[in-house]
Amino acid sequence: MSADELTPPEAARWAARAGLPLPADRHDAVAATANHIHSVVAVLRELDFGDTPPALAYRAGEEKHHAAVRTASDRRR
Amino acid sequence: MQPFELPLTAAADAIRARQLSPVELVDSVLDRIEKVEPHLQAYVAVTAEQARREAREAADEVAGGRLRSPLHGIPMGLKDLINVAGAATSASSRVRTGHRAEADSTVAARLSAAGAVLLGKTHTHEFAYGLTTPQTNNAWNPDRIAGGSSGGSAVAVAAGAATFSLGTDTGGSIRVPAALNGVVGLKPTYGLVPRPGITSLSWSLDHVGPITRTVEDAALVLSVLAGHDPRDPASLVVPPADYRPDAGADLAGLRVGVPRNYYFDHVDAEVEAAVRHAIDQLQALGAQLVDVEIPMTRYIKATQWGLMVPEATAYHEQTLRTVPELYQADVRILLEAGQLMPAGDYLHAQRSRTLMRQAWAGLLDEVDVIAAPTVPATAVAAGEEVITWPDGTVESASDAYVRLSAPANITGLPSLSVPVGFDAAGLPVGMQLLGRPLGESTLLRVGHAYEQTQPARELAPVA
Repeated sequence: MSADELTPPEAARWAARAGLPLPADRHDAVAATANHIHSVVAVLRELDFGDTPPALAYRAGEEKHHAAVRTASDRRR
Repeated sequence: MQPFELPLTAAADAIRARQLSPVELVDSVLDRIEKVEPHLQAYVAVTAEQARREAREAADEVAGGRLRSPLHGIPMGLKDLINVAGAATSASSRVRTGHRAEADSTVAARLSAAGAVLLGKTHTHEFAYGLTTPQTNNAWNPDRIAGGSSGGSAVAVAAGAATFSLGTDTGGSIRVPAALNGVVGLKPTYGLVPRPGITSLSWSLDHVGPITRTVEDAALVLSVLAGHDPRDPASLVVPPADYRPDAGADLAGLRVGVPRNYYFDHVDAEVEAAVRHAIDQLQALGAQLVDVEIPMTRYIKATQWGLMVPEATAYHEQTLRTVPELYQADVRILLEAGQLMPAGDYLHAQRSRTLMRQAWAGLLDEVDVIAAPTVPATAVAAGEEVITWPDGTVESASDAYVRLSAPANITGLPSLSVPVGFDAAGLPVGMQLLGRPLGESTLLRVGHAYEQTQPARELAPVA
């Protein structure tokens, strides 16, 4: 298990903190699924977002063209 | 030819010419439903008596010279996430037992005003959170998945059990089942078709659009659906438009982007061959093929999940706490685990979407449309949860079906899935055409031009 994965008790505590008490028989499965989702989404941390705003309520067709995509490691170079 | 076999455009022409009455058409489709539904289970509920009553009213109006639109008297199915006043919106879930919609959704109201006749509500993967629609069977082979989440809507149209239908699409849920059942599916530009009254999966990725037998049919339905509704914060202010494509099939001057990465990676050989053959047809019609590089592919799945997972959990916040046991196991676990995603990761996905939209805008400066497979494989067997690619890579079937569809949800770009043949097992293959924001007319023109090079499509034989 890698350092950023949640154990079943940690998953249960996080869920409770978010207002979702989980029965004991859900802890293992929720932790496993949450860790899988995390492994997929964490790749976004590679990106260097600079001043990029979130696209919270976006209008299709209003984008600026040709913005270069950089990762955080590009910035460090 | 029986009336149920007519594509929408042909049925509308026949009604306008008084060669076919809405009563004959609706009766024919209801008979077809009775015959095929035991094999398909496309519908949650069929409201036959109400449909017959609406058909009689339509027939009277048409006979009186009051044809409201090309959809007047045309029978349709609506995915059961779409509210119709007085009816349950079950979302194919036990969570919604006893539900009753108080008002029509915007799309149901527009279709009703246009004179379309509701046959019933079609099955979805529970709350649209999945790619199989397990209640429903594929129209071409009952042992194969329908695809999802708008599985019932696609299967009904493929089998002649609805002349057209509506689906919703958050990661491919219109286009995936359309491709797997050999029908046309259009995910319009984000915000072109309003969503009030439709159960959300993920607000920032949700779209609603038509599933039809032909591209021209999809254009007819879109012409009724599109237009601003201030109650949808994403709704675009666009003038009313007639999206019907011109008769001409000349694509001279059109630049068709053919991806050299991503869209043909881990794609079944028969699917790739059928799609490349269809792209060759576009070239034969005068289009110029241009190699294109798809941007930010490493971040597509992460962005899709980073947006969808927490938004879906937020939508279900109350019922996940009060009646979690009523959800199906696959949906419940995703909703629960979604509660554990940090806000920072959600914002990464939102900011990644900004970058992705900008990068795709640059790409669509180079070409007018992009042509690619809709899904990397035809319909898998029911219960077959993974696909093993020739290089040994194992991918969940759901991940595979979302993989090529998600970019259009993240960017909001319009995407049209068009059938382009069958694999050796007799299962349909779909080609996806992606365009610029509000570029539906171009997609429909290209799709229609392609269709004119092909023999008329048959209904799934079913029974």
